[in-house]
Amino acid sequence: MRGALRGSGVGRERCRGAWPDNRNRRNGEQMNIVVCVKQVPETAEADVKLASDKKGIVMEGLPLQINEADNYALEQALLLTEEHDGDVTVVTLGPDSSDDVLRMSMAKGAAEAVRLNDPAFDRGDAVATARALAAAIKDLEYDIVLTGCISSDDGNTAVGVALAECLELPHATYVTQMEMGDGEVTVGRELEGGLIEKLKVKTPCVIGIQTGINEPRYASIMGIAKASKREIAMKSAGDLGLESGDVGAEGSRTRIEELSYPPVGEGAEILEGTPAEASSKLADVLREKGFVS
Amino acid sequence: MAVSLVEKYELLGCIQCGRCTAGCPVGLRTYLNVRKVVYEGLTGTGPKDAKGRPEAWNCTTCSNCTERCPKGVKPMELLIGLRSAAIEKGKALPTVRDALESTFKHGNPWGRGRDKRMEWASEISVPVAGEGEAVPTLFFYGCTPAYETRAQDIARSLVSVFEKAGVVYSTLGTAESCCGNEIWRLGEQGLFELLVEGNSELFSAHGVERIVTSSPHCMNTFKNEYEGLELEVLHYSQFLKVLLDEGKLKLSKDVPKTVTYHDPCFLGKHNDIYDEPRDVLSAVPGVTFVEFDRSRERALCCEGGGGRMWVEAVEERGERVAEIRVNDAVALGADYLVTACPFCLLTLEDAVKTSGNEGKIEIIDLAELVAMAL
Repeated sequence: MRGALRGSGVGRERCRGAWPDNRNRRNGEQMNIVVCVKQVPETAEADVKLASDKKGIVMEGLPLQINEADNYALEQALLLTEEHDGDVTVVTLGPDSSDDVLRMSMAKGAAEAVRLNDPAFDRGDAVATARALAAAIKDLEYDIVLTGCISSDDGNTAVGVALAECLELPHATYVTQMEMGDGEVTVGRELEGGLIEKLKVKTPCVIGIQTGINEPRYASIMGIAKASKREIAMKSAGDLGLESGDVGAEGSRTRIEELSYPPVGEGAEILEGTPAEASSKLADVLREKGFVS
Repeated sequence: MAVSLVEKYELLGCIQCGRCTAGCPVGLRTYLNVRKVVYEGLTGTGPKDAKGRPEAWNCTTCSNCTERCPKGVKPMELLIGLRSAAIEKGKALPTVRDALESTFKHGNPWGRGRDKRMEWASEISVPVAGEGEAVPTLFFYGCTPAYETRAQDIARSLVSVFEKAGVVYSTLGTAESCCGNEIWRLGEQGLFELLVEGNSELFSAHGVERIVTSSPHCMNTFKNEYEGLELEVLHYSQFLKVLLDEGKLKLSKDVPKTVTYHDPCFLGKHNDIYDEPRDVLSAVPGVTFVEFDRSRERALCCEGGGGRMWVEAVEERGERVAEIRVNDAVALGADYLVTACPFCLLTLEDAVKTSGNEGKIEIIDLAELVAMAL
């Protein structure tokens, strides 16, 4: 399993180096955080169309934005580093347009930005992406890596976990509460039915952030314009010591065969009547189906 | 060196007379004390941004304070400045943040997709300019009439009025983007400038000579705040007045109702347009017009402007100002409370419901009233 995650033996070597002594420890109170962000299309209101090869969607006309959960992760990183005096580095693997997400992050307060920029990274699955991100992150100075728990386009919820494996760090996902301790962080993980699981995770670690943990700040247009003058570090596969077999389509363990629309189903019942009548019927349905006692 | 608030907003003229606070509509029901904000600005004792002074988000930018100030101080500008300072630090109220991000992404503050912007016109025939097509008269329908179901009736009514009057015009279709009036008032200067640039280019590319707007807010910003824009900007009430005077618009159907008229702040107080809407209203046959006591310059702000469509008043107490307005209209015996602004329409209509006046009075837009008389 662990071998599978890291692909070839060469890949395993490259994921190493994530040993405790290689990473920055807190200088007293200081705390540095790496945040993995992704640019995704906004599809909430759009009529999403399948691409002709049915392996993707038509991106034209869709506004692009930071993945929602990543926005919360970024905010969490900014809040923590503001409290504990440190720096946020944002990292992304994406096309040229994803520079916009990095600039927005810098406008919000991220100190450094890194983009994994190489055709070799294209069409990688979650694990291939995690492998690439790990190679970029392992030599940075950080106490915690934050990621969004899920991306709104692919929805694999896998990159954060795979990243933790590659970096050989403990991880927790769907985190909605975070409290820093000494050499550890206490997190609350959101489970079903409103349950919260409390975990203590030793730092350094990878934390997958769930939406709602905070209220993301706003990045003003003037702020973003100022950030556009700042440098983004570009990393190619070669820069990171990665070979083509480690990343991109070649380094992937999964492959998209086909995307299709969900079939139009039956079974929607319209409750007729006045609001009072309809809500009475609805209450019956909820009781019947066991949603309320 | 950062310009001090005192310098930037010329606060030294303030004599603390209190006319500003006395005239502030939200001062009636929130802790916003605009005289105190100026005082603290002068003495350097106050918070430097709206995060530290959350009641700054309550301002509707009705400009009462600025109009009333005997010393030419502009407290409204100071409040916008406090918002701007907070925005630049990323500290916007979440609803404001969402409206601003939406305007950047989709060209409207309502979180709706750009490709849905013309859905209001899906059942009617509305001209849309092709790329590079000349549009001497542009009907700028605006974000709120585009997406808000009730306000869509304003745009549709105007289309039928234009058609009947044989007006030659076009729209920009889904290429139309937010005018930015509220964006500026929420303090996002950068986004406002981006909108000005984009819109000015678009108008230029289509050779627009005259813009007719459905909202006084759009009219206000195009006319007064878009630098370098050299074309005629009219609110539809002014345009309809011209059409009536030229005999192109004839209103023949009787509307036997008692109506009163609510002066929108951005039409009245900001731009001194009080007579044209009244002239148009009086041209509707059968109408009995009754005037509010607080009318024209003294009109009571509905609390919809200045970005308030995206801000629930902070630390509020008491009756919404729009509810006072509705109760006054009911007391006048009006069947219709007519207004000429989509924000006024929406806030007054909500106020009818929350003040328990449903069934006693209807809020309609002047465009709808005119369309009834076609």
